[in-house]
Amino acid sequence: MGTVHAKADDRRNILGDTVENLSGNERQQDKRQEDIQWEGVRARVDKIHIDGLARTKDDIIEDCIRDLFKASDFQDVLLKAHRARLKLDELGCFKNISVYIDTSKGPNATPDGLEVTFNVKELKRLTGGISTHVGNNEGALLVGMKAPNILGRGERVQVEYTHGSKKTSNFNIGFVKPFRGRHRPVFTTSLFQAHSEWPTSGYKSIERGLLLDFAFHSSSLVKHNLQWSGDVRDFNCLSRSTSFDVREQSGLSLKSALRHILSMDLRDDLIFPTQGSLFELTSEFAGLGGDVGFIKNKFTFQSNYSVMEDIVFQGSLTGGVMTPTSPDMKISMADMFYLGGPLSVRGFQLRGVGPHSEGNALGSMCYWAAGLHLFAPLPFRPGRGGFGELFRTHLFVNAGNVGDFKLDDSNLLSTIQKNMRVSYGLGLALRLGNMARLEVNYCFPLTFDKGDHTQSGVQFGIGVKFL
Amino acid sequence: MLNTMALIDRVQLELGAQEPWPKDAKLYQPYEVEQILLSDNANCLAVQAFLKMCNLDFVVEPRANAEAMSPSGKVPFLKAGAFVVSELEGIVSFVNNKGISLTEKFDQEAKSDMRAYMSLVHNVIEVAELYISWVDKETYNEVTSVRNGSIYPWPLNHIQNRAKRNQVIKKLKVLQWYKKSTKEVLEEVENCCQALSDRLEGKEYFFGTSCELDALLYGHVHTVLTNTKTVAMKKLADVIKKFNIITEHCRRIDEQFMRRSSCVYFG
Repeated sequence: MGTVHAKADDRRNILGDTVENLSGNERQQDKRQEDIQWEGVRARVDKIHIDGLARTKDDIIEDCIRDLFKASDFQDVLLKAHRARLKLDELGCFKNISVYIDTSKGPNATPDGLEVTFNVKELKRLTGGISTHVGNNEGALLVGMKAPNILGRGERVQVEYTHGSKKTSNFNIGFVKPFRGRHRPVFTTSLFQAHSEWPTSGYKSIERGLLLDFAFHSSSLVKHNLQWSGDVRDFNCLSRSTSFDVREQSGLSLKSALRHILSMDLRDDLIFPTQGSLFELTSEFAGLGGDVGFIKNKFTFQSNYSVMEDIVFQGSLTGGVMTPTSPDMKISMADMFYLGGPLSVRGFQLRGVGPHSEGNALGSMCYWAAGLHLFAPLPFRPGRGGFGELFRTHLFVNAGNVGDFKLDDSNLLSTIQKNMRVSYGLGLALRLGNMARLEVNYCFPLTFDKGDHTQSGVQFGIGVKFL
Repeated sequence: MLNTMALIDRVQLELGAQEPWPKDAKLYQPYEVEQILLSDNANCLAVQAFLKMCNLDFVVEPRANAEAMSPSGKVPFLKAGAFVVSELEGIVSFVNNKGISLTEKFDQEAKSDMRAYMSLVHNVIEVAELYISWVDKETYNEVTSVRNGSIYPWPLNHIQNRAKRNQVIKKLKVLQWYKKSTKEVLEEVENCCQALSDRLEGKEYFFGTSCELDALLYGHVHTVLTNTKTVAMKKLADVIKKFNIITEHCRRIDEQFMRRSSCVYFG
């Protein structure tokens, strides 16, 4: 599939902040425990005002604030008000939200009664902008327009065009409809066109299609995406010197695929996590119509441990298996697995591990890769607490292998270990906003195959998902 | 980077020319029975005839996506060793670069005459084939759309037929053939055949010995005479059949180079 583009996940940010704020509050509470017993103060919410609503419908707002009426003491009111604010923010309808809590006045006021006022400001009907963002190993310019909350219940239409530094370009029109409910379901449909060039594999492709996505949470941290996509892929050689094995794949194909993505992200930070794990499992079945058919399973696991103050040990493991479904169905090179590059097994060129034909990487049906990292702050801590926190130094060992492994092979373990590629090195990582990471590494490929394209020495990587 | 790559391609092509003809030369073209269209069929046959006239070994390799694989987007294309060359003109100059030429002994005048007649065939007979295939409703519905769409799954077949048809119509509009009636198209073909027939009169081949022009005309004539499924296709074949000299020329190449019997024309 095309490039994975990163955007700052605002929600996470706020959640993170909240946790910090709350724990901060608790500490303060301890100090002033003699003065105020928060839990002891009986309180009850009499009235909730929402100021600034224009086109947003009442029912979705009610869902967000209903819990607040159940609060029984003042601390509860504070917590629930905060949660309600987060929920309002999640609707994606408001620019900023502020909360005021006051004692209840008037004839119907109860003795412990409070009035909570949410001041909200709705987003304009049409917003747009030009920004830059970072995809996998390339920078991109994004021109987008968005019509948020068009029907009053958080629905939005968005149009985006991105143009990347490596000649990729994407166009996307999408409609997003969030639903009410415990599982926070969101339905997304988008029409897209993606153009990408892969000089290391000698091909370029244009994909045009339709994507339907249904996202929901089965518990608060486990997210599921059910997707169907139908796309027409136009696969072409980049030049006359492209390998004939790649040339043979030229032409149009139609892929119709069902996908399930399960993701669970318990990390405390996207770029430099200090603790927590990430787990992602993607299962794809292609061949529901069209002429591309396969079953593909892929997983990613990452875990972080704080060894000492500011020193983090990170382990990650990823792997995937693809099986053809029928001999009449094609498997395109665009769907296969590749390994190597600054975001994957470092010390190898992009797609540098595995079978090549006349210099063009061909892709494999199975792969696995693992990485061990030791992250530490800059030596002598310049810019501590400020600028210096954007940087980390790291030592790493990467390993991986590709091939057409058979899962029912009795010697599976030895097969996947045979020809295992290993590289190690050290480098500097830089946080770019809250969405991407830049790495400059000095790599030493340790074991590699004859046909591999290694890159020992300095390697430069920029992206979102690193091994 | 692409520019340097293009340069390297060109240099490699020049260098490759000095190598002898490879044993594993393959000619890639669409499937003849279920897929190929009139004008593509003609061009593929022309290249086959040319290579046989040169006495070069090759294997015909049918591929559904031959058109997309071809570097110029047109069939047929030849893979000789590491080199990929497409269409009759490209293949002729590739073969010439290896020191094999059918026109070596031709004088300048004969060479330029040959080129003029070749472009006549391209600009009239080939365009007429495109017209009949894509503009004539019966032929489009019963032959062209079925064959062109045969390699794609639904609904891509309809999308592709439409896209290809628009592309061909655009070309015909530029050539000012789109507005012509079938009758006018057939008249153009008749005039062209008359000119070719006049040049060919009293000779076995256009310039004494066989050359690429003979191969090209053979490809088109053989294709038109053997594909008569619809009324318009039949009419086109009838126009060519009026010229005995041309059908005779086609039969001669069939027997001498292609080693097949040509009773199909008159059966």
